[in-house]
Amino acid sequence: MSRQSLLAVFALVLLSLLGLAVGNYTTYLLNLAMIAVIAAVGLNLLTGNSGQISLCHSSFMAIGAYVSSLLGARYGLPFWASIPIAAAVAALIGGLLGFPARRLHGIYLALATLGFLQIVQIVIEEFADVTGGVRGLSVPKPVWFSALEIAPYHLYLIVAATAVFAVWTATNILASSYGREMNAVRLSPHAAQALGVAVARVKLAAFALSAAYAGVAGGLMAMVVGFIDPIEFGVGAALRQITYIVVGGMGSVAGSVIGAAVLSGLPEVLRPVREYSDLIYTLILLGFLLFMPNGLVVVWDHLRRAAWRAIDRARAR
Amino acid sequence: MTDRLRLEGVTVRFGGLVAARDVSLAVAPGEIRGLIGPNGAGKTTLINAITGAVLVASGRVLLDGHPISGHASHQIGRRGVGRTFQHVEPFNEMTVIDNVLVGVGRRGRVPFWRAALETPAARRNEREAIAFATETLDAFGLLPYRNTRASDLPFGLLKRMDLARALAARPMLLLMDEPTSGMSESEADTAIATARELAGQRGITLLVVEHNMRVMMALADRITVMQFGAVVAEGTPTEIQRNPTVIDAYLGEEATDAGR
Repeated sequence: MSRQSLLAVFALVLLSLLGLAVGNYTTYLLNLAMIAVIAAVGLNLLTGNSGQISLCHSSFMAIGAYVSSLLGARYGLPFWASIPIAAAVAALIGGLLGFPARRLHGIYLALATLGFLQIVQIVIEEFADVTGGVRGLSVPKPVWFSALEIAPYHLYLIVAATAVFAVWTATNILASSYGREMNAVRLSPHAAQALGVAVARVKLAAFALSAAYAGVAGGLMAMVVGFIDPIEFGVGAALRQITYIVVGGMGSVAGSVIGAAVLSGLPEVLRPVREYSDLIYTLILLGFLLFMPNGLVVVWDHLRRAAWRAIDRARAR
Repeated sequence: MTDRLRLEGVTVRFGGLVAARDVSLAVAPGEIRGLIGPNGAGKTTLINAITGAVLVASGRVLLDGHPISGHASHQIGRRGVGRTFQHVEPFNEMTVIDNVLVGVGRRGRVPFWRAALETPAARRNEREAIAFATETLDAFGLLPYRNTRASDLPFGLLKRMDLARALAARPMLLLMDEPTSGMSESEADTAIATARELAGQRGITLLVVEHNMRVMMALADRITVMQFGAVVAEGTPTEIQRNPTVIDAYLGEEATDAGR
């Protein structure tokens, strides 16, 4: 087993034990943090690796959330069927958005994705018969099968296993030729093309892939929260996700995990000064862009290398 | 024998400007062809037209008799046309071996889901790719810099990495845009030796754009001279050196002195 597979198993065991040790509310917060991690991992593949800015990542979460919830509510599909379908739908729509996006850069891509976010918001609001509109949608209680409800701790385990799986697959992708092509497309499309990399196709695939991660995150979020409305997936959420990957570290899976895990707990900390939370998020984003553009992952890399050195020394002795 | 590379009346326009005008040339397999001309003569434009980086307005580009003009850049790359850059375009934040691995690229690649789930087949494929990239690095003396970030390499080594990366894709035709620019004379000599070896041992056809006449005379089998987007002369290095049109247009006093 490779080092990252071992780490994945270890992380899952640790998370399972943690879930046993904490109370209901903390479990809920941990669920939200792990869902934020899944979404951030997807966004980072798109923005940090393939170099495409997206202001509509929260829309793909919305697609995942609404599709899986509606499949559950209308057809009684359990999560293990509805969430993969929702992720596939998100990936398909992500791929369609990737089509025009292939030729756009920087500010133009930002505007195009922002436009897409608005469209998704409008669709949710206008088709109120199906989506519940601005009043929101109550999500049926999560079930294993038709009537077998999922206990809170088991729901926590589902979220944890999915988060670990998301992190593990993203790590594998980045270590493969697919990941190298994504980075190559960001760093020099000209050289990448000359080496036979299909730049446009890589960009499009990155959109679909990141949308799939977001779709899974959205589906889990609906399950955990039990209620969804369009505001939850607005531009504020999209900006928060960008803050996660900037603070954690662009282009790094560990960065996505650190950024999302640290910052998704922030609203709890900021509860006494809630009305300033957007301001505080913005300040954090600007602060990191200016003073620590490589993100917190730099600190993590430092610690990790020190740890491996210590282990090597211990082995040598 | 079919020409490895054949240009038939290739014209490239940028708006009203004709950057290449009715260019025809033929390069035999295994040949080292030099392409010279003053700044703005259309040499790099021609390379970009062959790789599909710019559009050919009229005329055809043929690789082994098959037309490649009009194909997407990456498809032309996959059909065996490689290039190196005048201003090296490294994947800066990537390590040297990762740069070369992009060149190794898609050969025997496993499907995406296998890579994402890191199946045994994916791991085997990755091991093979790394072994091949390591060999390529070794051949260019880059092995000590394997895990160095490309952005940390000095210019001379970057040039070498650029070449290693292009060759990792196993091209049959390699377009080299000013391979010795920014190099010292001894570095340039090493580069000449390397290029000769490529053409000789690996049988790669080379089309070399070069400003340094000394390098060109030492390297090329035949030389094509361009001026104002058109071909004005073609011949062996000795013929070119004696051609009055060429002396007038490009070489000038200095080069003829050096050739004497």
